[in-house]
Amino acid sequence: MSDSRTHVLLIEDNPGDADLVRLRLVESRPAVRVDYASRLSDGLAAIAKEMPSLVLLDLNLPDSHGAETFRKIMEKAPGVPVVVLSGQDDEALAMKAVNQGVQDYLVKGDLSSKHLERAMRYAVERQSLLRSLDMARKQQIEFKNQFLSHVSHELRTPLTCIHQYVTLLLDGLAGPVQPEQADHLKTVLKSVNQLHAMIRDLLEATRAESGKLRIEPRCIAVGTLIQQAVAMMRPTAQEKRIGIEIGLDRRIPLIFADPDRVLEILINLIDNAIKFTPVDGAITVKACMVESDPEMVYLSITDTGRGINPETKAMIFERLYQDPEAIDSSRSGLGLGLFICRELVKLHQGRIWVSSDPGQGSTFTFTLPTYSLAKLLFPVVTHQASLRPAFSLVQVELTPLSNPPRGNWRETWQECLETLRRCVYLDKDLVLPPMGMAGPAETFFVVASTDMERVGVMAMRIREQLERVASLKSAGKLSVMTVPIIPTAAAPGETLEQQVQHLADRINEIVIRALGKENLPVANSAHAASGSSTKPVLKH
Amino acid sequence: MPRNKILVVDDDPDLVRALRLRLRANDYDIATACDGYSAIASAQKERPDLIVLDLGLPAGDGFVVLDRLQNSDVLSGIPVIVLSARDPQNNEQRALKAGAAAYFQKPADNEELLSVIRVSLPQPKAEAARPS
Repeated sequence: MSDSRTHVLLIEDNPGDADLVRLRLVESRPAVRVDYASRLSDGLAAIAKEMPSLVLLDLNLPDSHGAETFRKIMEKAPGVPVVVLSGQDDEALAMKAVNQGVQDYLVKGDLSSKHLERAMRYAVERQSLLRSLDMARKQQIEFKNQFLSHVSHELRTPLTCIHQYVTLLLDGLAGPVQPEQADHLKTVLKSVNQLHAMIRDLLEATRAESGKLRIEPRCIAVGTLIQQAVAMMRPTAQEKRIGIEIGLDRRIPLIFADPDRVLEILINLIDNAIKFTPVDGAITVKACMVESDPEMVYLSITDTGRGINPETKAMIFERLYQDPEAIDSSRSGLGLGLFICRELVKLHQGRIWVSSDPGQGSTFTFTLPTYSLAKLLFPVVTHQASLRPAFSLVQVELTPLSNPPRGNWRETWQECLETLRRCVYLDKDLVLPPMGMAGPAETFFVVASTDMERVGVMAMRIREQLERVASLKSAGKLSVMTVPIIPTAAAPGETLEQQVQHLADRINEIVIRALGKENLPVANSAHAASGSSTKPVLKH
Repeated sequence: MPRNKILVVDDDPDLVRALRLRLRANDYDIATACDGYSAIASAQKERPDLIVLDLGLPAGDGFVVLDRLQNSDVLSGIPVIVLSARDPQNNEQRALKAGAAAYFQKPADNEELLSVIRVSLPQPKAEAARPS
């Protein structure tokens, strides 16, 4: 039954105080409806049942004391105004509560009806003001983002025209060009590309700010990505006769990260290094493991530039930060590159920092999570502190029917992956994450804690479910296979962790063999060739 | 061998002129249209082998054009490459779903655009056996 009266939840453990407040509330106009709880847990339960319009809260309850009490209430009833009932002796705590978002406090000793009524009315009023302020702020951010998106679109149109005609001239399609003229045109083209990069960064930063940056992590080799990024940046470095060296630790495990985003971070950092390194300098891009942090791969970009002041170091990753002493002012950007890098690294649960001494060059380091099959496997292949008795692998291959492939392959294989996840038991089977660079043809694997006899049923279920995916029918050919996994017998004294690791090694072997060389998450030179920023997505 | 014909649809005449020059230099025949309505009319009349399509167009935007093409028995087989200034994050998936073969954001790299045009064109029979 709906009730238009203001709904007050009173949480107060002292029956005398509670009666007093209730008495005052009965007299208040307009009439209010009061629910009463004498413990925090009862109060929280009442909130879960029905959200009140206001909470009158004693901070010291049998099951909760002090600041903890209002924190829990505000967590469960966000946006509901809270008025604290305090004793004569704990006004300081009540004040602290007000500082942390409680609307008001009343001292229980001098509580009149009028007083209480006014406090409640004001609390509700103030809370609704806060809400509209918050809404206005959100609208403003949304408006700003829409504006930036619109501006960037409008800027792109004339930029495209300039780009087209400059390249037409440069390519000699409008008649022969003198060497000096070609030189000038190249300068124009460079500026066009710079402007283009700025527009892109502006949009990326806006996305980062509004939490709209997305990543699609895969299991990949970091060396491949470093080689690609360096190949793309070499021409720019050569203009300043800067050499780029790659240092890859030989035992780098695969990482679990979005390949496109990691490339973006690497390119940004290498570009930055080139910007701040004088002619004939050197840049080193490295990947290594650190003993104290075995679950992360450390990637670093070191230059022989002029280094960074300690005061600057703290601000360098902030949005819109500009180095006032950039040596190459013609190549300064909007100050968004490092901010975007930081946001992208954060999305991967990594860290990014810079170490530098003025005059000694700088090293930017960031970390990315390793891909550990053993870690993923552990919860599904063990049961009651021992390894499950049997394992099998289901291999699902997706091949496009035509060349170029029809349909939207990214969506198709994502749908495929989701379908697979619905076909398995989460506590004893595992769908492995996708591997290598994304492409129209994908191979997925499911590790099942079951023997070959029973895994056949699972494979059948998977095939049936996948055949229902409409986009798959027109886009690709599907094959579902089962592969036995024969675990090596546990050596005496081997821990459960070691057994899982051995199983993971076996599975990795099978997976690598099945993927074949061209699909492995290792160096793929075909990708290194494309050096431009506009990446087409073929409808493979 | 007859040359492949490409229909370029964009409401910016300067850009159309530049694309025409660029594509002609690469041995394609060109037809052009500057809005959604004439894009469909031109596709029906000219029967191009491929369409380069802008999204923001007067008289029926790019998505309307994609929809019309897909729903036409005779035109649905023509590969469409979208070339638009719009943010791919909001439009790329939608365009690919609507039947586009590829999405390029302006300004696009000429070489990449040309190579995607090459692979998207219906392959001549003599070349069909080429290893992929």
